[in-house]
Amino acid sequence: MNKKIIFQTGSALISILLTALITFGFLFILGRDPVVIFGRIFSEVFGTGYGFAQTLFKTTPLIISGCAIAICFHAKLFNIGGEGQINAGAFVMALTATSFPGLPFLIILPLSILTGFIVSAVFGFIPAVIKVKKGVSEVITTIMLNFISLAMVNYFLISHFAVESTIRTTKIPENFFFTKLSDFIPSFHGSPLNITLFIALLLALIIYFTIYKTSIGYKLRAIGFNPVASVYMSVNVNKYTIVAFVLAAGMMSFVGLNYIFGYKGFYEYGFSANIGFTAIAVSLLARNNPIGIIFSAFLFGFLDYGGLAVNELVPKEIMLIFQGLVVLSILGVNKLTDNYLKINLERN
Amino acid sequence: MIPAIEFKNITKQFGNLKANDNVSFAIRKNSVHCILGENGAGKSTLMKILYGAYQPDSGKLFVDGKQQNFHTPHDAINAGVAMVWQHFMLIDDFSVLENVILGNEPISGIKIDFKTAQKKINDVITKFNLGLNPDDKVEKLSIAEQQKVELLKILYRKPSIIIFDEPTAVLSPVEVDEFFNIITKLKDSGNTIILITHKLREVIQIAERVTVLRQGKKVYEAEATEIDEDILGKEIVGDSSFEIASETKLETDGEKKVAILEKAGLSSGGYSKLNDINLVLRAGEISGICGVEGNGQNEIVDILLQLLSVENGTAELNYSSVSVVPDDRIKKGMISEYTIGENVITRKMGFEIALKAKLKKLSEILIKSYDIRTPDYFTPMGNLSGGNQQKAIVAREIENQSELIIFSHPTRGVDLKSSLFIHDEIIHVRNSGRAVLLVSSDLDELFKLSDRLIVLYNGQTVKEYEPLELKSRLKDAESFTVEVGKLMVGAGIE
Ligand SMILES: Nc1ncnc2c1ncn2[C@@H]1O[C@H](COP(=O)(O)OP(=O)(O)OP(=O)(O)O)[C@@H](O)[C@H]1O
Ligand SMILES: [Mg+2]
Repeated sequence: MNKKIIFQTGSALISILLTALITFGFLFILGRDPVVIFGRIFSEVFGTGYGFAQTLFKTTPLIISGCAIAICFHAKLFNIGGEGQINAGAFVMALTATSFPGLPFLIILPLSILTGFIVSAVFGFIPAVIKVKKGVSEVITTIMLNFISLAMVNYFLISHFAVESTIRTTKIPENFFFTKLSDFIPSFHGSPLNITLFIALLLALIIYFTIYKTSIGYKLRAIGFNPVASVYMSVNVNKYTIVAFVLAAGMMSFVGLNYIFGYKGFYEYGFSANIGFTAIAVSLLARNNPIGIIFSAFLFGFLDYGGLAVNELVPKEIMLIFQGLVVLSILGVNKLTDNYLKINLERN
Repeated sequence: MIPAIEFKNITKQFGNLKANDNVSFAIRKNSVHCILGENGAGKSTLMKILYGAYQPDSGKLFVDGKQQNFHTPHDAINAGVAMVWQHFMLIDDFSVLENVILGNEPISGIKIDFKTAQKKINDVITKFNLGLNPDDKVEKLSIAEQQKVELLKILYRKPSIIIFDEPTAVLSPVEVDEFFNIITKLKDSGNTIILITHKLREVIQIAERVTVLRQGKKVYEAEATEIDEDILGKEIVGDSSFEIASETKLETDGEKKVAILEKAGLSSGGYSKLNDINLVLRAGEISGICGVEGNGQNEIVDILLQLLSVENGTAELNYSSVSVVPDDRIKKGMISEYTIGENVITRKMGFEIALKAKLKKLSEILIKSYDIRTPDYFTPMGNLSGGNQQKAIVAREIENQSELIIFSHPTRGVDLKSSLFIHDEIIHVRNSGRAVLLVSSDLDELFKLSDRLIVLYNGQTVKEYEPLELKSRLKDAESFTVEVGKLMVGAGIE
């Protein structure tokens, strides 16, 4: 078992290395010095407290959304609808937080989390029910729901809730903001990194435990491995399909905490910057293991912030290419290690 | 004469377990050779080595006198070695013809040359008397016919050595005879046949030579003329006393009716699957359903599990919990990726925390009390031998203590000794006052266990033998077997 984990971690590292090499080559062809550029990224991220905090700030929503995607992946369900789920949930979360001026923070916060969760969950419930009742692939329905969700949010925002001539909601009161980590670690000063990071880490641990150490997790993965046998083993496949989707989609709304309560204080259209899609890559790189997702989310956070840091040297798109390449090489290298493990682990 | 196959000191290890331990023997050309042994003795492993699916850790393999190192099944096929898998790999939506040529399509220009294919396939079908229609869709075929399609796929590629791993486990007695006719034809046209089975009667009937494996080692070899069922039985289990304390059936009244199907009917995809099923399951009673596979058994099971509901008639289900040992262990019975303990956890109703120690304990209980042979507690069930997978599933379901337990072919692929053990457990379940439905195509098993016997043909219960009647009819088992055998294939109905 341990051997397996070592091999799988190894294969993730090889994917990353492979991608780094290709990106090096790519930069070289473009006539840039890859050593200078990567050196700059590393010194920005690890050399300054601010850069490190910014990277962690970008990592936070990826841990949350990556873990959410992983729940679905374990049941062999494909949730491509993260982007729509995040926006719908965060939008409602922000509205809730600003709609009851008299109420104290300790009531507003759980209420906002709850309404956000419910609205996001609805966007997971719909494709799950359509799949269970009619057998329509969730890939198609979740992609379609992205359009629907974003269009609805856009409409309600522009027509009713946006602050004049902006595409954002009104701001929450100052005393509603989460504690920033720079309050404790001065070198983080200037970065909005906040306690949402700890919420994300806690979520990762809870989901890890649930998936690998409880009967719920075993049933959830069973419907992914062998849905027919699951039925005969009296696992309610339909129920678990819906539960997985509702939980995953609902959890997506927590991405809003980092931005709304941790950073800006409002929902702004487009704030999610494709996190719902990046989450798929984050989860895949970690083979859907929530502990691994913490690390792969950090890698993607690193690339994201690193890309900004070298913005004047290379176009930010280079980092997007890097992210895309990582996914491709993960899929390839994983396949190879899986075959190797199949052949060799049975041998000894 | 050069043997068709020679194994020389073949050793294959999984972890600490030697699945094949220095095995050497030869298989004569153009003969029918049976390989016997307990569950987990290493039969399938040896065949997988011959077929290129596994590589041996040491030892040599000779095919037609030439040393071979097969790295993939593809290499083996090229050398004329073919295997009929126990688990069919057919595409349901395709016709027989399409399944056969898949991956080996005759091409003319840029199109598949269906005419040539059709002709070639028809030739093989007539030559070996397979009785298949190339245009039939696979989903409409019975298990026995699907097996023939698998065979046809192989014959189309003209092998010289054909391996069958427990082909008869899924067949009813009539179908076994038919299958053996085909085997004889294959032999007559020059093929070498290797056959694995747990049914000693079949060995006596068809084998020319036998090899027995025990715990990975070759322990016995003989010509057909030197053997009988007793000798084989002893060689298979070794010196250890071959006795099972048989449980006797207690008198139970069988009054409480846990399920009643009355004139039940059901159709799917335009075909009528069940019509006019009358069945009453009673607590403390074993109801046996006997019939050729595919005559409605699975639909009845699915109704009892509430996976299907009847369209005509009524189904009254009065039990609070039900367990099932399904007919197809790989597809329906287990999560292959999970260990035994993990399968148990998945099967449990309530919420449980499943740490390693607990999973180990759950595995341990079943492994110990049901003598499941496995490299260790944490071996995924997919890596157990076929019979041991079956034992683990039976154990898991019995331990579940449900009010009704359905056993569908409970000893399929299980060796003699373990079969007796499982039979005992089934009687034990009955004696404890629970209701049992036993579906099987093995008449001996049905006669031994059933309190009440229902014969199923074409989705109908064509005959029901009440407990008293059954008891008296079984006194003359031979003529009863003939009668039931006829009813099973629809003879003497209307
Ligand atoms: N891939 C594997 N990994 C680990 N152990 C394995 C693997 N394949 C087989 N084994 C083990 O090797 C032993 C022999 O298995 P094998 O399938 O050859 O038995 P068999 O004689 O065919 O038994 P059966 O009659 O039950 O089919 C078993 O204990 C099994 O658990
Ligand atoms: Mg076997």
